Amino acid sequence: MAAKLAFEPGSSTAYHTGDWRSQRPFYHDKWPPCGQTCPASEDIQAWLALASDHQWEAAWHKLVARNPFPATMGRVCYHPCESACNRKHLDSAVNIHAMERHLGDMALAHGWAHQPLTPGRQTQRVAVVGAGPAGLSCAFQLARRGYPVTIFDAATEAGGTLRSGIPDYRLPKSVLAREIGAILALGITLKLNTRIGEAICAETLREEFDAVFLAIGAQRPRLYPGDSSQHSVMSGIDFLHRINQGERPALPKQVAVIGGGNTAIDVARCARRLGAEVTVVCAQNPHGTQLGQPGAEIPSSQQEIRQAEAEGIRIRYRTGVRRLVRSGQHLSGLEVARVDQVHDRHGNFDPKLFEGTEEFLPAGLAIFAIGQEVDWSGLESLTQAPGVVLGGDAAGEHRFAVTAVGSGYQGAMSIIAFLTGIPPLREHHEKAEITFKALNLDYYPKQARRGSETAQQRIDGFDELVTGLADNDAEEEADRCLSCGVCFKCDNCWHFCPDAAVIKKADGYEIDYDYCKGCGICAQECPCGHIDMERLTA
Amino acid sequence: MDKRDAFRHNVLTSGHRACSGCGEAMAARMVTDLIGPDAIYINATGCLQVFTTHNQQTAWQAPWIHSVFANAAAVAAGVEAAMRARGKEMPVVVQAGDGGTFDIGLQCLSGMIERGHDVLFVCYDNEAYMNTGVQRSSSTPHGVRTTTSPPGRLSQGKHHLKKDVISIIAAHHLPYAATATIAYFPDLKAKVEKALGIKGPRFLHVLSPCPLGWAHDSALSVTVSRLAVETGLFPLLELEHGDLTGVMRLAEQKPVQEYLRLQGRFKHLFNTKQGMEEVRHLQALADAHIRHYGLLEADTEWDTRRAMHSARHGRGGYAQVTVSAPREVKNGG
Ligand SMILES: Cc1ncc(C[n+]2csc(CCOP(=O)(O)OP(=O)(O)O)c2C)c(N)n1
Ligand code: SF4
Ligand code: SF4
Ligand code: SF4
Ligand code: SF4
Repeated sequence: MAAKLAFEPGSSTAYHTGDWRSQRPFYHDKWPPCGQTCPASEDIQAWLALASDHQWEAAWHKLVARNPFPATMGRVCYHPCESACNRKHLDSAVNIHAMERHLGDMALAHGWAHQPLTPGRQTQRVAVVGAGPAGLSCAFQLARRGYPVTIFDAATEAGGTLRSGIPDYRLPKSVLAREIGAILALGITLKLNTRIGEAICAETLREEFDAVFLAIGAQRPRLYPGDSSQHSVMSGIDFLHRINQGERPALPKQVAVIGGGNTAIDVARCARRLGAEVTVVCAQNPHGTQLGQPGAEIPSSQQEIRQAEAEGIRIRYRTGVRRLVRSGQHLSGLEVARVDQVHDRHGNFDPKLFEGTEEFLPAGLAIFAIGQEVDWSGLESLTQAPGVVLGGDAAGEHRFAVTAVGSGYQGAMSIIAFLTGIPPLREHHEKAEITFKALNLDYYPKQARRGSETAQQRIDGFDELVTGLADNDAEEEADRCLSCGVCFKCDNCWHFCPDAAVIKKADGYEIDYDYCKGCGICAQECPCGHIDMERLTA
Repeated sequence: MDKRDAFRHNVLTSGHRACSGCGEAMAARMVTDLIGPDAIYINATGCLQVFTTHNQQTAWQAPWIHSVFANAAAVAAGVEAAMRARGKEMPVVVQAGDGGTFDIGLQCLSGMIERGHDVLFVCYDNEAYMNTGVQRSSSTPHGVRTTTSPPGRLSQGKHHLKKDVISIIAAHHLPYAATATIAYFPDLKAKVEKALGIKGPRFLHVLSPCPLGWAHDSALSVTVSRLAVETGLFPLLELEHGDLTGVMRLAEQKPVQEYLRLQGRFKHLFNTKQGMEEVRHLQALADAHIRHYGLLEADTEWDTRRAMHSARHGRGGYAQVTVSAPREVKNGG
């Protein structure tokens, strides 16, 4: 006969040791530095986690929620996320841009389609002016939320600067075209060869649509002020534009490119591919400090600079142009001089040249890549009108293509706020930051970064240089993410809690505050800093 | 019965009265959930017995007997013989503190091993008699402050060295003896599972930091136990039939001071010249372990770094994933 037990199994649970606690642990998602630094605010940690679980399509959906151009940006973005990645304190940053490209390429290969966020359709119509990264990103966000969107662009094809300004060896046109195709497949109307202010007047546009997103880019090149002759002088964006339309102009033996930005480097590398000896004249120093940031003096990407130099391009740092040296119309070269300071006291670009340091630099063509301006002609009335939102380079944010993507998202949110009268929700940006100091790095294995950074340098054509990740490398690379501040279900807290106060569930963990004594072990031993301790006051 | 957790049985569940951050509670929770509820547990007197059974309540969810301080191994031998006589097979597991193992329990343990009983003896070593208020035991390392080895003008804490109990046990040529600690769950799991797969007497020595007696921050129990291994003071070993068959290689040897400085029980050593001599002595003991067991060069799969590495979705859990119904326990015969 079964006897009644004197002690019922587990009867101690009637006693709540949680009363002893003087501090309380709690699970708390953080916002890792990668996503915080990404100009498009991608939730990088989240999509890497899905990729690491081999949920590739879900990872792509998570990524494109903020950036519908992964195959494109994975190729052209200068990935500030990686400079911020906490993993660099363990071995080397996660190869985020290669993962992004991998997901983008997978989507193109498998024909994955974007999903609308709502089944319903809105009635208010939105016009987007400019089919560049900002305009397309804005249209994408609006279309996913059910808004009918029409994009207008003056060019013959969509893509804006991504199409006209980025050479094929960095971004094959077909990749861009297919990603744009996937965005338009959400039901967006695209009207090409339609310049607002000419084909359609600005006022008509404003009347016909409930809101307008103006993302016309900065298309008008800044010209060299010291020389009025157009002979043997060109702007960087015009040069790139011609190359990107398939032209392969014959160049003089020596070409000088003036500028320190990415356009200058792109121009130099294209000119090099056309057989010229190329010298870049650049006021900045690659290691120079600006506003306390080492390496920030020069706006172009360090990686692009290294690749350009490896291709045999000479870069003259801290050098400025004094005048163009001509014999008659003919350009024989530039007179250059040493630059003293690059920026004035307010951080504005204003190089000062040292007298007496002049040199002659022979060149048959001078290409100036010294910036672009917004051409507002015909659109003046729109810039101040209600329901018109500016975005991309036209909003003065110009820096990276991916900045324009982020600006497109913000623009869409502002437009929806305008149309609905409901202010946009602020999201995870309010979450706490997490630095490597909050991580328990010993819990992570060292693992070499995957992917070839320095592809073999070839200057004999415009074929794409950098190859993508192999499937198995992508799997391994996704695993390298430390999941900063976000639980990755390692079980540590569950194993280590002396009081069985951490309960494991199918979808995560829960602290049972009836029993947690507040020892702090779970927080101490969490690899990724997901657990915080909070002092309790009596 | 408590069935809050779908992924382990919680053989030792919540509501127990161990101090906050108790390493012994953590160790026992891990070990018993690796063994599961279908076993008979015999517990010597000590913290683990006292804090799990209180006021007519128990934190155990498996058959559990409290022996007296000295005779847990003898009780287990009897349980195992009775099970054999009745033709039943079930793991028989002893749990005891270092007092109940190194000191007063040693002769019963030695007899149990010598007679070849099919029992797993687990010693949770917190290096003193904690339950009665931190008296020194033969497991207490030298130089430690306890209530019966107070440092002062004539003494730097305990005079005598920590007893090398694993060598004493191994000298019985038993099938399996191992040392482990809470910091390396996968290593502990591998050792418990290995022990469960072997017949005959088996011994598991689990270092279990005690925030009260060691006077460290309760959040640091795991950290401290990890440092005990990384410094070489507590080598992780496996011995089969008396021979050393495995060690945990140290990825890097940490200086003993890193371990000592986290604990109030060593604090006095850093105040005097004689104390610092004891620190050097502890370092020399760690160095001697490292040489003796080849902890830096052993050719093993594990090392202290790899054993620590975590993984997405964990690295495996406990014995029982499904929670079984309360077991009927029959009285007498
Ligand atoms: C024969 C006998 N002597 C003394 C005691 C008092 N006593 C109970 S537990 C204990 C110390 C237990 O120390 P240890 O075995 O190291 O376990 P811990 O409490 O440290 O886990 C003592 C001395 C006793 N119960 N029986
Ligand atoms: S390790 Fe992962 S989560 Fe952390 S910063 Fe790098 S990419 Fe982001
Ligand atoms: S380890 Fe357990 S008892 Fe300690 S603070 Fe965390 S949940 Fe609470
Ligand atoms: S310890 Fe592991 S399982 Fe627990 S919260 Fe941190 S990452 Fe998640
Ligand atoms: S005295 Fe030490 S071993 Fe005993 S319950 Fe407290 S912490 Fe645990």
